[in-house]
Amino acid sequence: MITLNNVLFKWHKQQAKPTLSIPALNIADGEHVFLHGPSGSGKSTLLSLLAGINTANSGTVKLLNTDLAALSNRKRDVFRSDHIGYIFQNFNLLPYLSPLENVMLGCQFSKPRQKKALQQSASLEQEAARLLTALGLTTEHHQQNAANLSIGQQQRVAAARAFIGSPELIIADEPTSALDANNRTAFIELLFAQASIAGSTLVFVSHDESLQSLFNRSISLSDITEQVI
Amino acid sequence: MILIKLAYKSLLNRRGSAFLTLFTIAISVMLLLSIERVRVDAKSSFSNTISGTDLIVGARTGDIQLLLSSVFRIGHTNNGVSWQSYLFIKQQRGVAWTIPLSLGDSHKGQAVLGTSLDYFTHYKYGKKQPLTFTQGTAFSHLNEVVIGSEISSKLNYQLGDKVIISHGMGNTSFHHHDEDPFTVVGILKATGTPVDKTLHIPLAAIELIHGGGHSEHEHEHEHEHEHEHEHEHEHEHEQHNENLTGEPKQITAFLMGFDSPLYTLQVRRNINQYKPEALLAIMPGVTLRELWEMLSIVEKILLLFSSIVVLVSLLGMLTTLLASLNQRRRELAILRSVGARPWHLFSLISIESLLITLFGCLLGCGLFYGLMSIAAGFLQSHGGISVTISMLSHYELVLIGAIMAAGFIVGLIPATRAYFYSLTDGMSIKI
Repeated sequence: MITLNNVLFKWHKQQAKPTLSIPALNIADGEHVFLHGPSGSGKSTLLSLLAGINTANSGTVKLLNTDLAALSNRKRDVFRSDHIGYIFQNFNLLPYLSPLENVMLGCQFSKPRQKKALQQSASLEQEAARLLTALGLTTEHHQQNAANLSIGQQQRVAAARAFIGSPELIIADEPTSALDANNRTAFIELLFAQASIAGSTLVFVSHDESLQSLFNRSISLSDITEQVI
Repeated sequence: MILIKLAYKSLLNRRGSAFLTLFTIAISVMLLLSIERVRVDAKSSFSNTISGTDLIVGARTGDIQLLLSSVFRIGHTNNGVSWQSYLFIKQQRGVAWTIPLSLGDSHKGQAVLGTSLDYFTHYKYGKKQPLTFTQGTAFSHLNEVVIGSEISSKLNYQLGDKVIISHGMGNTSFHHHDEDPFTVVGILKATGTPVDKTLHIPLAAIELIHGGGHSEHEHEHEHEHEHEHEHEHEHEHEQHNENLTGEPKQITAFLMGFDSPLYTLQVRRNINQYKPEALLAIMPGVTLRELWEMLSIVEKILLLFSSIVVLVSLLGMLTTLLASLNQRRRELAILRSVGARPWHLFSLISIESLLITLFGCLLGCGLFYGLMSIAAGFLQSHGGISVTISMLSHYELVLIGAIMAAGFIVGLIPATRAYFYSLTDGMSIKI
């Protein structure tokens, strides 16, 4: 699913020390990976490389056997929207859309994901409603303004948006940082269940190491990065 | 489709600023359409100050001078038309009617027109509308006057009031015909033409107050036998008209109508080549258009001003969109994160500006029709402009199309910026 080989990344070319240096990283299909590391260790940088927002200065980043650096900007945009679902730390819902519309937005710009969503349900709206209900957002909240939802509810909407159209990779960037321990565990279990149904690989990033026991694999960024002096 | 929905919902979310921008465009569209409609209708009303009259005949001067003096009561001609010439031309083949006009006297600065009863039946203005009375009737005695609506309202004259005519024009005329007071017997309905500012008296009365035609005694005699005169209404109209017309030595000009338009050019040529007297016959419609051409600079300035108003409102939209764009970088980045490409965001902002312009134009059209229906009466009575409340003309639709195109072009600036923002911001929603 994900293969990184001799990846070196610098924000600026003049930088003496690279921001990220990963000799090798392999994540298999369907794995639920917990990626952790202290603040400033390069977690977000790694995610930006996986999502194809930035490209490595050297080495290869392959997703689904596709070398992201070999794609043009436009093709990388298309690849990202077709194969990657993203859950942000602060959810990033559009406040003027309802939860249903926010979830549908997840596949509006990708034909393959729309197709997959329509294989699950008769319409995109029904699929969005199914995902929201599966993630614990009751139907009375489906049409209300997203800005009026609680943090927990917004989080469920953000997760449903990432899952719609069953993308092969779900990247969750510290989505539980605003939750208490009980809600955090419940939410992660919901994520696992949906990822399993969709057959998605889940890369969950957090600096909270107490969560690693919930995942079937845990990767410490400091273990996989090369120490450059 | 999703982009239109997103643009619409995003605008609705910022409805305060979006509506203000839209309203500014609506006001400018309303102004532009109103100015254009009033310009076209003013031109048409101006051309229709006199309608249904085929020729105006006067002493040989310039076309416009004759028109100004006979129709607009502006300036005066030095020479007149002799009564013999008038009678001769009147009897030409194809002449349906004539209206003699005698100008030169005034009342408190307002023109006094000596004419025949035919004036009230054949004189037409606007879209061949005849003169109508709000009160009273046409004069039937030599000492009676019919006043225009503005004379009535300005000088507060009612039926039965006495009016003294002065010799010459202007407010400070030294020679008043005090011995010949006239009684107001009719008030004309507003026409928005110089008729509103005119006092109409029998042509014979002009001669009378200048000491010609009937003697003073005869005039007095007529007063004494006013009651007896009432019974004379049974006389034939023509006979009565002749009494009121008299036989003056000369008149200022006269209006002519023909049985068929075919006669117009022929008679016009004959009059212009008339040997016994140097006369000039003009076709009022043609001369009015020539006069309007002289005033075309005013309409160009009006159009220029309204175009500037539209430009300013579109620049207002540009400012609002650019100002809001910086606040919306997060929204744009979210869209990028769910798969929107830079050109999607470019299209989104372009659609927003198009929607604002479109709804601005629609609201502007609504406001335009509202304004026109409210102002139509006022424009007719005060400006003499007969405004037509009809569907938008081809030219007006072209103007709206031009505004839409300009709105779209203006919207390309923030759209381009959104495109580049989205490239640099990528998916990093840390803005």
